[in-house]
Amino acid sequence: MPDRMTGKLSISPVRAAAMIAGLLLAIAPAAGQGVARAPGYTGPRTAAGKPDLNGIWQALNTAEWDLRPHAAAPPAVLAMGAAGAQPAGLGVVEGDEIPYKPEAAAKQKDNAAHWLTADPEVKCFLPGIPRATYMPFPFQIVQTPGYILMAYEYASASRSIPVAARKEAPQADSWMGDAYARWDGDTLVVDVAGFNEDTWFDRAGDFHSDALHVVERYTPLSRDAIQYEATIEDPKVFTRPWKISMPLYRHLEKNAQLLEFKCVEFVEQLMYGPLRKQTAK
Amino acid sequence: MMEKQMAKFVGVLALIAAGSLAAQTRPATPAAAKKWVAPRTSDGKPDLQGTWVNFDSTPFERPGPGGASGAPASASEGAPVAPGSGNEHALIFTDRKPLVEQRASMVVEPASGRVPLTPWAEQQRDYALTHVQDSWEYNTPWERCITRGIPAAIFPAGYNNGYQILQTPGQVVILYEMIHEARVIPVSNTATTRPHLPASLRLWNGDPRGHWEGDTLVVETTNFNGRSMIATSAATARIRSVPQTENARIVERFTRTGPDEIQYEVTIDDSKVATTPWKVAMPLVRDNSYRIFEYMCHEANQDFMEITLGGGRLKDKAAENAGNGK
Repeated sequence: MPDRMTGKLSISPVRAAAMIAGLLLAIAPAAGQGVARAPGYTGPRTAAGKPDLNGIWQALNTAEWDLRPHAAAPPAVLAMGAAGAQPAGLGVVEGDEIPYKPEAAAKQKDNAAHWLTADPEVKCFLPGIPRATYMPFPFQIVQTPGYILMAYEYASASRSIPVAARKEAPQADSWMGDAYARWDGDTLVVDVAGFNEDTWFDRAGDFHSDALHVVERYTPLSRDAIQYEATIEDPKVFTRPWKISMPLYRHLEKNAQLLEFKCVEFVEQLMYGPLRKQTAK
Repeated sequence: MMEKQMAKFVGVLALIAAGSLAAQTRPATPAAAKKWVAPRTSDGKPDLQGTWVNFDSTPFERPGPGGASGAPASASEGAPVAPGSGNEHALIFTDRKPLVEQRASMVVEPASGRVPLTPWAEQQRDYALTHVQDSWEYNTPWERCITRGIPAAIFPAGYNNGYQILQTPGQVVILYEMIHEARVIPVSNTATTRPHLPASLRLWNGDPRGHWEGDTLVVETTNFNGRSMIATSAATARIRSVPQTENARIVERFTRTGPDEIQYEVTIDDSKVATTPWKVAMPLVRDNSYRIFEYMCHEANQDFMEITLGGGRLKDKAAENAGNGK
């Protein structure tokens, strides 16, 4: 079956060819590399010849607490004690700083001060991109030649991403954005636009507007690791585009499968409690 | 250089494959010519992939003893569209014309076209329907924006009846437009490959396992949490808000019957709810032009907060005031 992106012929024998090529490279590193293939990746490929990203993945960091470098901090809910405290982290922002415009920097600080009432995660709202990627939950990539589906355990969020050029401007603002994917060699590039202004990037109040544009890059490092990068652009909030990056790790458990974190039922009392019929009077 | 050799090799393979494919599909007899064979995925399985819809005007059940088409048999059964339930709209508009011929009912077994509900199930349903304004827990999981459940997620409602199916070796994935749920179904014909989750782990949508019976994908789902409902939209009339217990065993069958059609069948076995297993059958129709958009639900569930629950509290207030002679 011809590969749509590179025009190379790629059916299962190509896998064997790739293995041989890998072997040759190992023997003679200077002997040359495939045009479209990263020299580092020797993991499995799909029938269409692309790196096989099918599987269950998860970040292993504290970006969900704060994208920037941060020390450990006490819990926002006293009763949670150490179990609710923020773990320290090195941060995932290239250059460590997020280039907020001055008024936006003030809003981020205000968001952080009102985290428990203002963070959409507390209400189990859809997480947006890139936050869905590094929440402390697994997500599954389902890779076909025409579509890449990303299914997130948190809130059953999902994205069905056509592997195609963007056909039209986003038709409506959405929580998870309007995404199109393409392959850049062995890197899956996902272009996301059409966001609403209601999601955050982390629990530290980092935010964006409806002008957000995210370009994600999923570069396989091996069978079991992907380097994830997201370039974040939003001229209403930031002075320039900025970038986060982190590895994602494959769940290796033999019985790994996405479970449910349908958190709506965990926030109904919080959101609707005062509207429940009072019977015991 | 190696690329060229590979290309030759692949070319020869392609010729061989094309030859064998032609041999397979060449009709042996005129009768065989009529038999349509589903296309295959790269790993040789029937290809169910695509975007499918089921805008369908067929009543869920045949008319009951009461007579009129789809009319409830008792007064309490009229409650599915109780004003203020936040669900009336499901009956009022559909955003697409029906695409398939109307049948007598979606329920095809038993032959009566009626679900043999137990008195317990009817009582549970009636209690929930008369208390929808008291608390979220009496509403269907769909109104709560948790899930439409399995199999209910594929029972057509008035709108957003879109489903995308993707396949990779060893799994079939169904993306349900409503509540943006991706259902990953491990598929294997070796029973020991992926046993069901332990009985102690239960989910809203259960734990599905698939296998192929000929060209039919058969999916068995168990491990339900007992908090869902067997059907959630007003279009399911008498069945809406009927509970689904932890013991429910759901067997779905997906069969490609033509270039643009999948026959979907589901058998629901839940003895506390219905006296015998019952079956629903309906076609799914391919619609490549159908675009699945994000089904934002919980994020803007204003009807639920303001009309269903908020409206309920306003009624309480009015009743209290009336009681005080105000």
